[in-house]
Amino acid sequence: MLKVAIIGCGKQADAHAAQIQDLPNCELVGVCDKDELMAKQLFERFPVKRYFSDIRELLEVTRPDIVHITTPPHGHLAIGRMCLEANCHVFFEKPFTLNSTQASELVDLAISKHLKLTVGHNNQFNPVSTRMRALVKDGFLGGAPVHMESVWCYDLGDRIFATALLGDKDHWVRTLPGRLLHNIISHGIGRIAEFLQGDRARVVAHGFRSPLLTSLNETEIVDELRVMIADEHNTTAYFTFSTQMFPRIQQFRIYGTRNSLMLDDIHQTLITVNNTSYKYYLNHFIPPFLYARQYAANAWSNIGQFLRRDFHFESGRKHLIEAFYRSVSEDSPLPLSYREILMTSRIMDDIFSQLTNTVDEVRPYAHSERS
Amino acid sequence: MIINHNDRVLVTGANGFLGSKVVETLLARGFLNVRCLVRPSSNLTALHRVFEKFPDAHVDMVYGNLLSPAHCQKAIRDVSVVFHVAAGIEKTFPGCFMNSAVTTRNILEAASNERALRRFVNVSSLAVYSNAGRGRGEIIDEDGELETQFMRRFDAYCFGKTKQDEIVMEYGARKKVPYVIVRPGPIYGPGARSPIHSRVGIGTFGIFMHIGGANRLPLSFIDNCADAIIVAGITEGIDGEAFNVVDDDSPKSREFLRMYKKNVKRFPSIYVPYRLFYFFSYLWERYAKWSRNQLPPVFNPLKCAAEWKGNRYSNRKLKALTSWTPRVSTAEGLQRHFAYFRGTNA
Repeated sequence: MLKVAIIGCGKQADAHAAQIQDLPNCELVGVCDKDELMAKQLFERFPVKRYFSDIRELLEVTRPDIVHITTPPHGHLAIGRMCLEANCHVFFEKPFTLNSTQASELVDLAISKHLKLTVGHNNQFNPVSTRMRALVKDGFLGGAPVHMESVWCYDLGDRIFATALLGDKDHWVRTLPGRLLHNIISHGIGRIAEFLQGDRARVVAHGFRSPLLTSLNETEIVDELRVMIADEHNTTAYFTFSTQMFPRIQQFRIYGTRNSLMLDDIHQTLITVNNTSYKYYLNHFIPPFLYARQYAANAWSNIGQFLRRDFHFESGRKHLIEAFYRSVSEDSPLPLSYREILMTSRIMDDIFSQLTNTVDEVRPYAHSERS
Repeated sequence: MIINHNDRVLVTGANGFLGSKVVETLLARGFLNVRCLVRPSSNLTALHRVFEKFPDAHVDMVYGNLLSPAHCQKAIRDVSVVFHVAAGIEKTFPGCFMNSAVTTRNILEAASNERALRRFVNVSSLAVYSNAGRGRGEIIDEDGELETQFMRRFDAYCFGKTKQDEIVMEYGARKKVPYVIVRPGPIYGPGARSPIHSRVGIGTFGIFMHIGGANRLPLSFIDNCADAIIVAGITEGIDGEAFNVVDDDSPKSREFLRMYKKNVKRFPSIYVPYRLFYFFSYLWERYAKWSRNQLPPVFNPLKCAAEWKGNRYSNRKLKALTSWTPRVSTAEGLQRHFAYFRGTNA
């Protein structure tokens, strides 16, 4: 039986607790928040043994095997260290840390203590992502990827919502090195990092503010980002983050020397782009039918999973947590490699450092245990 | 009256639909030393419009967040009565809890150290009551049981508000903070968030399903509600009491819908009997459980009963212990409500 604890009892904690309570052979032994009321409300709504407002007490009393840290990232380094020092494996809510130096420190500590850690890049573990990974592994692309495109759109909502969200000058998101971008883009960057090689990548980033933010007199947050990335082997990628583009798109395309793949996170579709050509006008007639057939097959697959009770909104998180727990209990490979986690972090560092003309210096933020 | 007209009073959430009306009513009643706590990002247009009507008033603006104990300390200084109107509208349980219970705890903690404080008025909601085990149409008064099955009812707002009430009562007992709780029904009138309350029906599935039928809607017109909150803050001898706030002569759900269609906008709707929707909610809840929340239990028997079972709420206690009577009749209130939404093309 795996003993699991959660530190940080805000909005993200509910999603973690909901998945953990459904997993076999594990129990939620404790939850902790610096505000005891917040810890208590989670304790009252989920099957949790105890609640705490002190992390050391949680670790000493419950002695968990795995700790989920669902606080804002400002506290991840300090809390992660405490958990690793207490011999706990750690699941971090994204973004992993404030920067790659902190990320490296945590990874090094985990390795030295023979413990494991991962970060909540959930979308990489939803069913279509798993299918895509299997195809790439089987050589569908015809070798290493040549190029990737990752598009991540984010809806700031209507003007009233944006005013409320962006109007809070003390919001912890504002104190991240990359502000709003920092809290979101790891989803799209992580997808690219998974298929890059080596430890380093060259990054060229361009950021700006949308007309909506400009009209709200926003001077700190950047909500439009375009990035070019290349690894040591010249595998390249484009990353786009936008709050302006509608419909909201969250897509990933990966191009190989033989075939390509198109993944749509929102519609949960995976389309194979096959290297087949037809004579003359048939090239315009047959492939559209074949694409239509693939989209229909995706729809049937999604419906089938829904009928089999395996198409949850949070399925990526569920599968990632399951894979991490399996890795801990069976000592099998991690669902996300440390190389990938660190490369994601370094790419984000590079992006934010290049945006310094528009993103000013980071303001200090008091560590909190709530997300 | 437990305070003088010159004593300072604090209104939290002062820029909101209800908060700005409470400020206006306070000023109109001659309480000219009003402190308003608003978020720095708030749109203050409505509040400034109120201030323009009362140029002699001493209105003190405090910009802050109730999640900050320091901001609460600043806001509470030298305050005799707190009208805690601020409400957090959130979809998530922790979000609702944080913006209702935690914020209330913070302002109560500050209030418990304030010597001038004579009363803390906590604005709650009828949503905190459980009507499980109550017959259809049965009257629920202030002694009614509060909800305890929050996850089964799957109602984050109910959770936040119920916990808020519990914290107020706890501070009353433990730290002797003199409090009064007011629980208004759905508040309507010009500026309301929604033209048709969910107690009438819902449009979730693309067409408006009218489920309320012949139920009496426990409505509270904005002016009447603000009056109730103020009398709860100034009336002697009611510390520790809770009051339901509903108007007289509430319309039936089908009357409200008919009048809305006639006065504001016509749209298609279908009548779904309560028992049929209850059965649907029962099936939905079973499916949610069976599928491990592949579809969350947003429809469930407890929520269905809370919204559409047709229980009525009494304002008898409020009338008996205070000077409150509804200033605006329901007929006039409805006309003003409809006129407002006709103007906004709702």
